[in-house]
Amino acid sequence: MSLLVLLLAPLVGAGLSAYAPARAAGLLHTGTLGTLIAAALAVLAGVAREGTVTALDGLLRADALGAWMVGLIVLVALLAGVEAASGHGGEGAAAPRRFYPLFHLFVFTMLLAVTTDDLGLMWVAVEGTTLASVFLVNFHRTRASLEAAYKYLLICSVGIALAFIGTVLVYFADVQQFGAEAHALRWTTLLRWAPQLPPRVVELAFVFLLVGYGTKAGLAPMHTWLPDAHSEAPAPISALMSGVLLAVGIYAIVRFKAVVDLAAGPAFSARLLVLLGLASITVAAAFLWSPTNVKRMLAYSSVEHLGLVALGLGFGGAWGVAGALLHIANHALAKSTLFLLSGRIREAFGTVELASLRGLIATLPLTGRGFALALLALLGVPPFGLFVSEVMILGAGFHAGWWLAPALALALLLVAFGGMLRALHGMAYGPAAPPLEEPTWRGAAPIAVGLGLLLLTGLAWPPGLGAALARAAAVLGG
Amino acid sequence: MTAISNLLAFFALVITLLLVWRRSWRGRLRLFIAQSALLALLTAAVGALAGKRELIVVALVFLVLKAWIIPRVLARMAAGTPARPGAAPGQSSGVPLLVAGALVVAAYVIILPVTASATLPTAGAIPLAFAMALIGLFVCVTGRDVLGHVLGFLVFENGIFGLAVLATYGLPGLVEAGVFLDVLVIVLLMEGVVMQIRREHDSLALDRLRELRE
Repeated sequence: MSLLVLLLAPLVGAGLSAYAPARAAGLLHTGTLGTLIAAALAVLAGVAREGTVTALDGLLRADALGAWMVGLIVLVALLAGVEAASGHGGEGAAAPRRFYPLFHLFVFTMLLAVTTDDLGLMWVAVEGTTLASVFLVNFHRTRASLEAAYKYLLICSVGIALAFIGTVLVYFADVQQFGAEAHALRWTTLLRWAPQLPPRVVELAFVFLLVGYGTKAGLAPMHTWLPDAHSEAPAPISALMSGVLLAVGIYAIVRFKAVVDLAAGPAFSARLLVLLGLASITVAAAFLWSPTNVKRMLAYSSVEHLGLVALGLGFGGAWGVAGALLHIANHALAKSTLFLLSGRIREAFGTVELASLRGLIATLPLTGRGFALALLALLGVPPFGLFVSEVMILGAGFHAGWWLAPALALALLLVAFGGMLRALHGMAYGPAAPPLEEPTWRGAAPIAVGLGLLLLTGLAWPPGLGAALARAAAVLGG
Repeated sequence: MTAISNLLAFFALVITLLLVWRRSWRGRLRLFIAQSALLALLTAAVGALAGKRELIVVALVFLVLKAWIIPRVLARMAAGTPARPGAAPGQSSGVPLLVAGALVVAAYVIILPVTASATLPTAGAIPLAFAMALIGLFVCVTGRDVLGHVLGFLVFENGIFGLAVLATYGLPGLVEAGVFLDVLVIVLLMEGVVMQIRREHDSLALDRLRELRE
């Protein structure tokens, strides 16, 4: 029941706000977000109590891992939704009928992807995330955003079609072995049968799935659409895309990883994930050494962090998997806060090119300080959560006997650290315009929530977080 | 069953190769329609011979979508571009055709684990459908304009559809329906984006899209 409400709330909200008069749009948006939060809390409580929540005869199913993702998506949707509805340059406030329907549809497709047990339906939902967000990327209708939207649509559609080949092959292996069965594409069924599936076919399928969903997750070398789409999209959409959409791609990969590990042994997927993870961190570090534009810098940093997540999953073990899941959450918090603030910076300065940004802290005291702190958190500076999850991931690597990969990753992280710190220094200080007035509680809320939660994951895990993480990792056999 | 599926898949592959060879947009669009119709026939034949009624429904939907609705959208997208662009220097069909031939061989090699463990009577045609998909991907990534990209993507999609029919007698109905919906929405979104590109740039050639470079 709670799962159905969770999915219906954004779907109905999207449908209604396409036709509602502009004056009711804000209210409808708030109502949808409120229902979404209530339903998400009910799902989380249900999973905490019973382990899994199901609906529609098992077609919809949230286990500990699904609940982890649901919590993240709804949290970032809330931050982005509040920012979009704010009077200061909020996209929703400016063009409600163009923005809100697609915004909620986008949230719906992401939630469907992580709450369905059917891997075919998951594919449809992940493809749906692209389709719902193409026109959001092109929201500002400039030449650059149009080009970004085109690249995004084409590259992600091709990528996701490759993932479909993988899905077909998994279904083939399944049907060959066990005959056509209504639930043959259900993840729970597959997991039960996985040890008897032909390993070579499942390996081949996993290569397609990794490349396909890896495109959505922004792993190099399939990341080329990402910096454009993330930097051209309006700030709340960038926050959702970078914070949770990439994580949905990773989520799809790990569901299949659990199957391929049972069918062909864990070494196969581990090697591929470590390889793609290192490639992503390398590509990102090369760019981040001298970034030119704030939003592109944040976008490349997403490639870097998703690469780290892939490393954690590849290294495996309890720390690797739990570290990767925690890193997904930490990255979502830090990155969505930063993207939301980058929207305010663009609003105030008219640009996000680093060359023309000076005196940020003096001009926008609240936004500027929040941006600096969140960027430090993103760079993995203690006491914020990313430090903890990065230590967990790299530690898992050394512990599992991968010496070169974690050492190389550490060196590349330092390169990115240096480049981004220099960029921050350049934009934060320098000759300043007179301070601008900033919205008070609305301006401070996303910063306080994002940084507050990052402090919690870094310093003192609230009761239940450790258990939730362990259970989510246990779903994947970590 | 084996003979029919092999024959139809073979014809569909030949059409795909012709599509690589043809330069004129109208000719390529007609070949795409022919390929889609052949795949619909293949699906219906497999459905009839294997006694799977739902496959016949899938074939009908596929026929309407890929051989009628989508080609109409494509024709709308292309309206206004020269029907027979003069071949630019260095653009011959020889090299792409050679690559496509190599892709057929590669398809046989890559898909070997699948054919080795397949027991359905349609197994022999699996590599042919996979080759179609790879060639479609090749057409897509080497497309010189937006239309080439879209057409290549659709051929790629057709190949994957054929692969699913031949290897598994089609996916569960819910997934199949979702896939059809997705493809339709992709093409409609592409049309929206293409129309804007044309308004902005007066052309669909890719060298005009150079706003976003590091």
